[in-house]
Amino acid sequence: MNAVKKLSVGAWIALVAAVLSLVSVILYTVNISSEGYFQNASVSNLTVYAVLAIVLFAGAVALGQLKLSGSAATAVELAAGAMQVAAPVLLALCLINLIAARAEGLGFIYFSNADVILEVQTPANLASASGSIANMACLGAATLAGLVGAFCSTRKKGA
Amino acid sequence: MRAKNFAPVMRGISAVMACLLVLSVVGTGLADSYRSALDSFLGTTSFVTSTDEDAARFKSDYATIEDMAAAAKALAVKEGEEGVVVMKNDNNALPLASNGAVALFGLAAYAPYPYTSGDLKAGNEDAVDLLQAFTEAGVTVNETVRDFYLNGILNKHTEMVPNMWTGEMQETVAYDNIYVASPGDMAEYQIVEVPPERYTEYGAPADWKSRIDKENTTAVCVFARGAGEGNTYAPGSALDFDGSATGKDPLALSDDELAVIDAAKETCSKVVVLINSGNTMVLKDIAKGGAHEVDGIAYIGVINDYQCTGIVKVLTGAVNATGALPDTYVADNASIPAVMNFGGGYYADYEIVGQNGTDPRYPGVDIANTEASSFGGSNTYNGGHFIVEAEGIYVGYKYFETRYYDCVMNLSYNAASGKGATQGSSWDYTQEVLYSFGHGLSYLDYTQTLKSVDVDKTPEGNVTAVVEIKNNSSQDGYFLAQLYVQQPYTDYDRQNNVEKSAVMFLNSGKAQVKAGGTAEVTITVPSKYLASYDYTNAKTYILDAGDYLFTAAPGSHAAVNNFLAHQGKTTADGMDADASGAVLTWTLGSLDKDTFSVENGTKVTNVADTADLNYWTGEQTVTYLSRQDWEGTYPINYNTDVQIKLADSPKKDEWIAQLRGQTYTIQDGSPAAEGGDKGVRFDTANIQYDQLADVNDPFWDTLVSSITIDEAVGAVIHGGSRSDVLTNVDNPVVIQNEGVSGFTATYTDEATGKNYRFNVHSQTLLASSFNPDLAYEWGLIEGNSGLWLQRFHLWGTGLTQRRTPYNGRNYEYISEDPMLTNRMGYGILQGCADKGILNGPKHMGFNDQEHNRGGVSAYMNEQKFRETDLRGFQGGLEDADGMAVMIAFNRIGATNASHHVGMLQSILRDEWAYTGLISTDMMNNLYYFNAESMVMAGITQVADFATEDNHINQGEGGVDKTWGYISVDTVKNDSALVEQARQNLKYQLYTFANSAIMNVSTEKVATWWDNALRNTTYISGALCAAAAAAWVVLTVLPDKKKEV
Repeated sequence: MNAVKKLSVGAWIALVAAVLSLVSVILYTVNISSEGYFQNASVSNLTVYAVLAIVLFAGAVALGQLKLSGSAATAVELAAGAMQVAAPVLLALCLINLIAARAEGLGFIYFSNADVILEVQTPANLASASGSIANMACLGAATLAGLVGAFCSTRKKGA
Repeated sequence: MRAKNFAPVMRGISAVMACLLVLSVVGTGLADSYRSALDSFLGTTSFVTSTDEDAARFKSDYATIEDMAAAAKALAVKEGEEGVVVMKNDNNALPLASNGAVALFGLAAYAPYPYTSGDLKAGNEDAVDLLQAFTEAGVTVNETVRDFYLNGILNKHTEMVPNMWTGEMQETVAYDNIYVASPGDMAEYQIVEVPPERYTEYGAPADWKSRIDKENTTAVCVFARGAGEGNTYAPGSALDFDGSATGKDPLALSDDELAVIDAAKETCSKVVVLINSGNTMVLKDIAKGGAHEVDGIAYIGVINDYQCTGIVKVLTGAVNATGALPDTYVADNASIPAVMNFGGGYYADYEIVGQNGTDPRYPGVDIANTEASSFGGSNTYNGGHFIVEAEGIYVGYKYFETRYYDCVMNLSYNAASGKGATQGSSWDYTQEVLYSFGHGLSYLDYTQTLKSVDVDKTPEGNVTAVVEIKNNSSQDGYFLAQLYVQQPYTDYDRQNNVEKSAVMFLNSGKAQVKAGGTAEVTITVPSKYLASYDYTNAKTYILDAGDYLFTAAPGSHAAVNNFLAHQGKTTADGMDADASGAVLTWTLGSLDKDTFSVENGTKVTNVADTADLNYWTGEQTVTYLSRQDWEGTYPINYNTDVQIKLADSPKKDEWIAQLRGQTYTIQDGSPAAEGGDKGVRFDTANIQYDQLADVNDPFWDTLVSSITIDEAVGAVIHGGSRSDVLTNVDNPVVIQNEGVSGFTATYTDEATGKNYRFNVHSQTLLASSFNPDLAYEWGLIEGNSGLWLQRFHLWGTGLTQRRTPYNGRNYEYISEDPMLTNRMGYGILQGCADKGILNGPKHMGFNDQEHNRGGVSAYMNEQKFRETDLRGFQGGLEDADGMAVMIAFNRIGATNASHHVGMLQSILRDEWAYTGLISTDMMNNLYYFNAESMVMAGITQVADFATEDNHINQGEGGVDKTWGYISVDTVKNDSALVEQARQNLKYQLYTFANSAIMNVSTEKVATWWDNALRNTTYISGALCAAAAAAWVVLTVLPDKKKEV
């Protein structure tokens, strides 16, 4: 409980961003392994970048809990800050790569010609499309959370 | 407030700016790829058209004609270097010792096929033949043998012969004794090879044998087989040198040729045989274990002006041998299931199709239904002959390797049955097949290992494989990697008659590798080719559930053995060799009937049910070859083993109508709009970026709506040879050119008077190079030469499947394999397209025999229809930017291929989204080629060889000069016909506009969103850097004020 109370607002936001990132990875994995249009349609490096972002968020929070002084404290603060900057950048990269990879497929599923749309809009394909959109939304939320968190320190004042 | 408190704000700003930077950088690339859609959505313009001559859209890569000629020559030499296939190499017969001697035997050693210039041979002054190439390479050629061959046997001279097309007498090269260059149409084929016992009659000294230093001389025996348009080999038709019938296969080595080999063996220490042919030959006698076995065999294809230089570089080891066989070499051609139904025969009651003056289109004209000559000439529907391509997808290696696989893996499939066996009482791969598809020996030891494979299962996705080539030798070298797949063969397939080959070639690539080193070759191929066509149940492309096995292997047979070993089999189970490479698996969890069921927005479903003979007979007349039961389904001959009667068909009238060419009948009651000046023209003022980019731009409909009824129909049905100027359109005249080895036109340098010909390509050697990159290079050369010649449209390659070895035009085509053809076609057509040249491949739609090509009905099921011949064209016409195609001569089912709406409209235009020109083959029979049916099928130009004739009123009484029942009066009330003709011309004009014919360039200009993205990148980058710097400075700033 004490440890929870010691967390700063910045640390809390980083943790929320990390959780959202984790959910994104899960959604992505489920999406490409489930039956439907995007089955096996992996996006290059998406998982690597997202997992790296989670590690960076966790690292920023952990470094924020260290009680140091002097130049060591400054170095740790710079390191934690760098992690707070890098993590949302990686998530933004994931998001735009995902959008780039899915745009055509989503257009195909939702906006095909009337004569083929019944063939295209199978339950599996619609579920696959919805999953992909949820994946994008979650990545977007994680990126935003990460950006907001970057304005706050992961270290509690006076701690 | 202390400055240090701003540190988190700066950090936050730097994070936001960094994100913006990433989004703008990646977003710029993304926006660029969707530029057209964004322009359309936002109302912006990204391109403007430049009419400045210096800003031509298509320019030659060569500054001078000498550079152009040198590039063409270098490419041809490279074809020789990469295309030679070393099939057999024992006793270190190859490479030839650099300081050694050779004795050249065989007529083709001194006059390689083809020996006359024309479509296949450019005939440039600096052409190099084999003898010259050997000499220039420093190889000593035995003079005794050379002299009696050159001066006694061959005796080169010139003769006057009539031109095949014009009848005009022309001087041509001739010899006293030479192989027959044109086998004729199912005629007897004389194998003119002078046997050694007659050498002295032709000037050989009596002691010629002793004049060869046996220990230090290698015999090189070269044997050729001719071929040609309208030519088809007849099994069992061989005559020997004396003209006596031998009953042997004309593609097998004759006794005279074998006698030459025996003499070579007697007089030389080693014997190498070179196969100079576009038709696969039967080499059992000289292969391992043969009665006349030789040390080495190499395939050298059909040779053009410069390939010999490259061929000799391989034979002497100056470059590594990297060619591979594009076809399977068998011990007996009778073992090929497709040969069971080859040539064709009549329906039992074919005469009922003919009419004695009662065809309403041709009143008073007696029209028979008999076979016509390959070049036309008689009043006949020519719908009496048919073949049944009952082998289905099992053409070439797909038959032999699958049956071998089932001999080991699926014993219940009766693969070892004696049905189809020619070498014993039971079928044995090792006895039936001499050299497999993809086989080719390398001088330098190397291994190819599949390191990774990624399958993007989306309609536009690719299979991406990385193959590691390890050079195990002590020399730097060039090597070939081949990618193969095995699709799962499932219960679903067995229940629904979906056939699967046990191995399928996908693509290949080559790489230079240092001695002892490794290199990675990335091979890609569209994922859609993993799908199979299910014509009975899903009626679309399916991907079966299960494991897709991928491997890199030196040939189809090695690939199958890799798959078998991966599946736990060994030589103890009947494998004839161990695995040679790794297998990687991609697994699909469940049957997928969706991903490839829609292509370019078109639902993919059956369009060729009528190609199936069973459709017409109403019963299971035809049993298609299925691996489920090799014995029970092995093809019978449907011309001799059963009797097909048209009159017995429940669809008799419909069937006969098709055979009479009545696919479409001119309608009445729906008046067509007459054309007129709509104020637009085919010019750069009207055709800007939007019009070049989109055939559906309203401009094109406006333009073609201006074409009169007379010209709309007339320009389509008289569009061959050259396309004429249309009133109200003012399009340029476009002249069409042959041929399969490049433009046959001659370029004369006005400054020097020197002539250059650029048809220097060898389709056969390109095919055996297995190098799609080389195909692209040739396409560029072909395109560049078009720019120099100012010729923009040629029929410059052949992509028909080599269904059997007997087709006289196999030398124009690539392979028995659709995917090798597909990838080579992709390269050639893309290369030409990148230079703005329309290169139309011949002859889409099962023109796989020349015999009675102008009317024979080829029956098949739709899986074969889609996965064999058409797949060969798909790479160039769908995946690449191919701009023209020539349709097959024959019928598909009972329907003239040029009338086939399913193939031309549903597949070509809709599924493949092809926007180019579609031509018929030679229109030599008005009773077979039906004008209105061709218009409705989407033909953009009927090849009739006339000029300035784009009208339907040039005949007596103002009717069409060819089809007398057609006139403005008879078509003006059929709006569908007239509008379809205009639509066909729309595609043709659109293609001309996008080619070097118009040759305008469009320049990209920055839109507001381009500027916004660029500015965002710069500003966010600058702010990111500034904020990050401020954050670091503020963070490290000492807290001095606090102490105060």
